[in-house]
Amino acid sequence: MKILIIEDEQSLRESIEEYFKGTGNICETAADYATALEKINIYRYDCILLDITLPDGDGISLLKNLKRNNYSDGVLIISAKDSLDDRLEGLDLGADDYLVKPFHLSELRSRIAAVVRRKTFSGTGSNLLIVNEITIDLIGKEVKIGEHDIKLTPKEYALLLYFIANKGKVVSKNAIAEHLWGDGVDITDDFNFIYAHIKNIRKKLMEANGKDYIRAAYGMGYKFIG
Amino acid sequence: MKLLARYNRVTLVTTIIIMLLTGIAYYQAISWILTRQKDKDLADEETEIYEYVNINQRLPDAFENKHQQIIYTKANPGSVKRVLIDTVYFKKWGKNNPKRQQFHATGEYESARGLITSVTIANQTYKVAIIQSKVETEDLIRIIFAITIGVILLLLIILLVTNRLILNRLWKPFYNIMQELDLFNIADKKVIPQIDTNIDEFKRLNASVTNMSTKAKRDYQTLKAFTENAAHELNTPIAIINSKLDLLIQTENFDDWQSKLLTELYSGVLRLNRLNQSLLLLVKIENQLLDERQQVDMYQLIEGLIIQFDDIYRDKGLKLTYKLEKKEIYASRYLMEILFSNLIINAIRHNRDGGEILINLNTENFIIQNTGNSEPLNNEKIYVRFHKSSNSEGSGLGLTISQQICENFNLVLKYSFATPYHTFTINFPNQV
Repeated sequence: MKILIIEDEQSLRESIEEYFKGTGNICETAADYATALEKINIYRYDCILLDITLPDGDGISLLKNLKRNNYSDGVLIISAKDSLDDRLEGLDLGADDYLVKPFHLSELRSRIAAVVRRKTFSGTGSNLLIVNEITIDLIGKEVKIGEHDIKLTPKEYALLLYFIANKGKVVSKNAIAEHLWGDGVDITDDFNFIYAHIKNIRKKLMEANGKDYIRAAYGMGYKFIG
Repeated sequence: MKLLARYNRVTLVTTIIIMLLTGIAYYQAISWILTRQKDKDLADEETEIYEYVNINQRLPDAFENKHQQIIYTKANPGSVKRVLIDTVYFKKWGKNNPKRQQFHATGEYESARGLITSVTIANQTYKVAIIQSKVETEDLIRIIFAITIGVILLLLIILLVTNRLILNRLWKPFYNIMQELDLFNIADKKVIPQIDTNIDEFKRLNASVTNMSTKAKRDYQTLKAFTENAAHELNTPIAIINSKLDLLIQTENFDDWQSKLLTELYSGVLRLNRLNQSLLLLVKIENQLLDERQQVDMYQLIEGLIIQFDDIYRDKGLKLTYKLEKKEIYASRYLMEILFSNLIINAIRHNRDGGEILINLNTENFIIQNTGNSEPLNNEKIYVRFHKSSNSEGSGLGLTISQQICENFNLVLKYSFATPYHTFTINFPNQV
């Protein structure tokens, strides 16, 4: 997967780059409008992470530029401003998703995976996500281990997709809670209920002769081992 | 006390006192003048008697007319001094006067003025008493006094009525300004308008009030913009901490103590982030930036939330019972979700283990009840920013946000407590 990170905040840019590097991804970065404009007009990316507030220009016009040239790169806007107008403008102009700062890197990765999957689907017509013996029908939201259908609840399904997108990474409980219950949800600090979901997924996968992919990591989170 | 009432009371009291004093002085003056007149009449009468005695060398007939008696009595020479006195006059009633029957008397005493003098005829001294009734004088005074009082009363009434009319009209601009002040809301854009008046004082008042409100609004906007900007600016450092933590946990190989520290760091950042998001949300709701409205199916929304949170309340061993009826309201779907999820989360968070939650939705209201602390919450403080119960891990903004959302959509949020349930009720407006 080839990704362009357009983000003026150095520290954040490096975090994202660090998280995405390896595991077969190629990351390029742009810290300002000029560099970004140059890169998007030369290279094609699977997904462009676009911070819309740049010091020397407006990220929105980069998006317009992409669309004018009919480039089909996936675009995910990351913004510090959670304004409905910005969100609608971005999506209207053809961005694929909109993520508000601050976010967990695992959330960002899961969103990028979804954007790329949608691109792949519209390109190839394939709606199957295959990880080892696990086959996921993204349209029908059905999961199979080999030939065995397994029944997951909507939350378990979402959680499984989240883990697969963050394969090989430790995902914090906070990130999981925010992903499943929304970041506006202000619940408790102990995430016992996450444990119940994880336990169920593992049980269901293993009952269908799947491998035990999910490991607890130091009480802070979980990891899907590919 | 209204200004008009106060003003009227003062004018009324002073007018009455002054009028009374004038009345007394007036009465004294008139009665002095009339008594002097009477004394002159008596002296004239005396002169007539002297002249008669000089010419005829005998006393005139002791005669009596309607208001005058002259009485002669023999006296020792030198024993009678000439003197003017206040006395009484016995007035005989006529034979057919009905008062004779009524009072069983032949007449009545009237106040009178008398002159005692003496006359000497052929070495015999006579005491002469000339008495004139003052009834007519007193009648005169009484009439004058009555007219005066009548005029005073008339004057007072006219004064009160005109005061009322004129003052009410005069003070109208003042009341208009007052009304504008009552309607003043620091958060909305409406300014206090110029009031149409020619009175300088009111013009000044109006100008001051307009100035003050404009300044208050500007300060408020500045403060709000500051909060908003501060919250926005905080987003980036929070994002950095968050992302660095996400990276840090990838390095693995932590001992228990380190992972405990990391977990606490995460939860601190989480709270910081939620607090910041809540502040941003509150600013947005207050600015009515999230005001796009649509028909929202409450049944579907609340049922969805209950399903969304079912693992959370089950984890606490809570028993949730709900009864939902079909209800649609015209509002922002996003904000309705926040409002109802806040209330449900509160009912879960402030519950005790194994407690209960009751949810009821009908066409008039939404009621959520939960068990929990056995003390009622302070109805006045729960909506105050950052007010929270001691063991709450929330931001302290949840109910403030809920109430602000309700305000924006004319919903009424109320809290009550009846053992063992804490109850929040939202009354829906009567929408057509």
